[in-house]
Amino acid sequence: MKLVPIGVVVAVLVALPFLISGYHQGLATYVAIYFIAILGLNILTGYTGQISIGHGAFMAIGGYTTVLLSADQHWNLLATLPASLGISFVCGLIVGVPALRLSGVYLALATFALAVSVPQFPLKFSKFLGGSNGIHAAQTKSHLWLYVVGWSCSALAFAAAWLLLRGRIGRAFRAVRDSELAAVSSGVSLPIYKTLAFGVSAAFAGVAGSLLVLVTNGYAQPGEFGVLLSLEILIGAAVAGLGSLWGVIVGAVFIGLLPSVAPDVPLIGSAHGQDVVFGLIVVLIMLLLPNGFAGFLRRFEPRVKTTIKSDPKTS
Amino acid sequence: MGMNRRVLAVLAGAAIVAGIAVTAAFGAHRATPGVSASTITIGGTFPLTGPASLYKTIPAAESAYFAYVNDHGGVNGRKIDFKVLDDGYDPSKTVPLTQQLVEQDKVFAIFGSLGTAPNLSIWSYLNTHKVPQVLVATGDSYWGFSHKAYPWTIGYQPDYPGEAKIYGQYLDANMPTAKIGVLYQNDAYGKNYYAGLRVGLGAKKSNIVSAQSYDASSTSVVQQVLALKASGANVFVVFALPTQTIGALVTATKVGWTPNATIINNVSANPVFLKIAAANGGNVDGVLSTNYLNLVTTTDKNTAGAKLATAIISKYASALDLNDSNVVYGLGAAWTMTYALKKAGKNPTRAGLMKALKSLNVADPFSYPGMKLQTSATDNFPSEQLVFIKWGGGAAGQWAPFGKIYNHVR
Amino acid sequence: MLGLAKRKTAVSTGLSVPVLLLLLAGAIFLVIGSLSSSIFAQQTVAGLAQGAIFGSLALALVLIYRATEVINFAQGELAMATTYIAYQLTLWGVSYWLAFFLTLVIAFALGVVIQVVVIRPVQHSVIAVVIITVGLFILIDGLVTWKWGADLKFMPAPFGNAVYHAGSVAFSRQDLGTLIVTIFSVILLWLLFQFTKLGLAMRAAALRPAAASLVGVRVNRMLALGWGLAAVLGAVSGLMTEPTQFLQPTMMQAILLYAFAAAVLGGLESPAGAVIGGLFIGVFLNLIGQYIGFATPELRLPMAFAVLLLVLLVKPNGLFGRRQVRRV
Repeated sequence: MKLVPIGVVVAVLVALPFLISGYHQGLATYVAIYFIAILGLNILTGYTGQISIGHGAFMAIGGYTTVLLSADQHWNLLATLPASLGISFVCGLIVGVPALRLSGVYLALATFALAVSVPQFPLKFSKFLGGSNGIHAAQTKSHLWLYVVGWSCSALAFAAAWLLLRGRIGRAFRAVRDSELAAVSSGVSLPIYKTLAFGVSAAFAGVAGSLLVLVTNGYAQPGEFGVLLSLEILIGAAVAGLGSLWGVIVGAVFIGLLPSVAPDVPLIGSAHGQDVVFGLIVVLIMLLLPNGFAGFLRRFEPRVKTTIKSDPKTS
Repeated sequence: MGMNRRVLAVLAGAAIVAGIAVTAAFGAHRATPGVSASTITIGGTFPLTGPASLYKTIPAAESAYFAYVNDHGGVNGRKIDFKVLDDGYDPSKTVPLTQQLVEQDKVFAIFGSLGTAPNLSIWSYLNTHKVPQVLVATGDSYWGFSHKAYPWTIGYQPDYPGEAKIYGQYLDANMPTAKIGVLYQNDAYGKNYYAGLRVGLGAKKSNIVSAQSYDASSTSVVQQVLALKASGANVFVVFALPTQTIGALVTATKVGWTPNATIINNVSANPVFLKIAAANGGNVDGVLSTNYLNLVTTTDKNTAGAKLATAIISKYASALDLNDSNVVYGLGAAWTMTYALKKAGKNPTRAGLMKALKSLNVADPFSYPGMKLQTSATDNFPSEQLVFIKWGGGAAGQWAPFGKIYNHVR
Repeated sequence: MLGLAKRKTAVSTGLSVPVLLLLLAGAIFLVIGSLSSSIFAQQTVAGLAQGAIFGSLALALVLIYRATEVINFAQGELAMATTYIAYQLTLWGVSYWLAFFLTLVIAFALGVVIQVVVIRPVQHSVIAVVIITVGLFILIDGLVTWKWGADLKFMPAPFGNAVYHAGSVAFSRQDLGTLIVTIFSVILLWLLFQFTKLGLAMRAAALRPAAASLVGVRVNRMLALGWGLAAVLGAVSGLMTEPTQFLQPTMMQAILLYAFAAAVLGGLESPAGAVIGGLFIGVFLNLIGQYIGFATPELRLPMAFAVLLLVLLVKPNGLFGRRQVRRV
């Protein structure tokens, strides 16, 4: 039965480029990029209960990998994607190890530190990383190319996530999330699975970062990977709720299209009005639909005192 | 079966929507993009929000000027429709917004988009699609020097290294034994300036006793100013963005450093900022900089340009302050755009616009009196004259120009 | 549900001997350095002035953390917004210090309202609160830009612009004033928590909500009070920042990042720790920038966060935090 909605989505995505303009294909590609990034964050947060406000950092690593391999080594742009996947995966593992010792707000702060610090490095090492004027990839691609590649990557990412999470690894992830104690006693190695989740999640973000650079006319610059990007992905994941396909698509559409749609809102057609709308929607969604995202949120109430305060069914 | 039906339903719905869209598209005017019988549509991206948003008075002033033009008959009978979009100085936003302007709104040209990195992100895209990217609001040298590879792009203001070169020449000529301390932003903007200063100083570049950089994200420049003071420098050169420039001027006073001369770059030489620095205790009297704009509220206030500026701003954008040199900048850029659109003729084409912009030879009312906008097929720097200015009068003070007009600044 | 729990058992409070010795050693190092080199002394003084600002915002973060064990990502924006309110009051002709105290009252109300309206409904979930504060960040930024615009504004200097000289070291009345106000805030907080019934109730509500409500403490009211007080401290921080950053919507964003590092260094729960953490970060960044060539300005933020990460990994409860026993 599950195949039916997936089939519909695939059919729509295949048909879409024939029906919409190049510009709208471009917008749809942004949705694909956020889809991959939010899916990655969902694996980490939704399935192993580790929070990250630093996924923009992994996107930066992926994006710069792509642009450097293209500009300096003249790699084919498509070939850079697996490379950025691999490098981001390794970086994710490296971050995942210290993250083992942190949880809750501490992990939030540590990953936030990452999001703020990583965009500074292209400025520090401007000789290799282009500094504030950024780097151009060797070529730029058309809207259609980007659409096809973006959504193909999304499909692959979704399939990979699905395969990963339905099997042994997914069971281990969920065990870690639901009760570390129980997971350990049933033979799940906490360090391995928690670190692995970080790696996989970062790999997804890395590919999303590569694609973000490609849609930005192959131009990588620190300003593209600011703190706001990390916050947007987190908000997208929150809007998405539990890791369902539909949820992640909704989150991706929200993050990817709202900034393009909001300016047309009457009354608040201005830029700051857009901020007001965006902020208000985020707050309202969290307030009005807490149950809709219960599955997602339930991973984050580990604290003793809140267990006392919150309603009995969650404890 | 159920699935197929649903797919069919979705496809049918989508096809209907697409059909309407396609019909609408073919029904539209198919001549030069952005030019209809009654309007010329142009657009640009600007940081209306975020850290660089203090520049948002530029598009506001530009819109005011175009409103004035439209009320006075427009350009060859067509009204200018200027679309301003907010990219927050983030290139990954500049790109889709510019694509929206070019592909959805079908603008005739991208006018005045602000910032070096944002303009770099759309540089090749616009040139590949042969869309004019004109009078960009950044003083990097790319725009003037790369006209062979990027013929659809042209800058506007004097470029940063050229401006800094003049400071070097000035110090070389007037203070040959100065000990120079430089504060610059640690990015291409600051480094361009710093490099230009060294070129201008020539053999005297050894007079630079200390050069300190700061990061745009930092909260103060105190540490750097202290290091400059400790280096024994007696000339303070600041190549910074406005907030840090104010901070540097205030800090120098607060740490008891009184250099013989202080030079700030023209981006930060906005009277509004000098007044803030003075009100916060900074010693700003005697600060030097350069200028290419009409000093509308002070020494040039009786010129025709200043009167026009005052009339336009009071009627179309009374919230703007003519002491803010970004407002005058916006008027000047919009004037130049209007002039070029007129020169492009009754049936303007994109190539015609570029040709007009590459053959300027005209004095514009919002430039400093005596200056001219001059370009040619090989000279793509429209405004490349500067005059020195000196601040006097503290918080209620003003710039006073002095000395000759420097030509061919680059 | 216990998976990520950091169950707390208060084993020891506040200062430990090694930390005290460490601080003492640091202070002696700074004094000796300052006596032997005037640039060292000047950088240290400037670092303290910057650090006082980081510390004052970190204080607000700590108060929120103590009350509800979350980090308020909108703390800096809230501080910025309240500074604009003070600005508006001075525009209306209210004198600076009257505007200052009126703003604190308004900030308090604002903090309480935010806690009651948007935080309380989701306070059982760290992630929900974090996301809401991120939403508030964007919302407040938009509202302020809408109302006051994004151009630079400024207020009268609260302490005047006088400059003092001690030997070759110059410092301004503004810096001195900021430092004194920040330290004064800590002392007031300490008095509140140690010696008043209200303070005790607030601590109880934060640490042992169930037990506290059993003995008659109105837990929700205390938590709201915590947010209100945090907003007051934030407003103080914003007003102290204004003379160096001037008034613009982004004025507190970088400060907030350094305040994070300061708060974590101080243990996230300790007001004194937050201020000392702030002072440390300010001095550390200035000295390292002066003497280490590699530590160029673009590394200031990464270095502050390196301190944060190091503390989290090596001594997660910071210099002054209570020791926590983690049960897996």
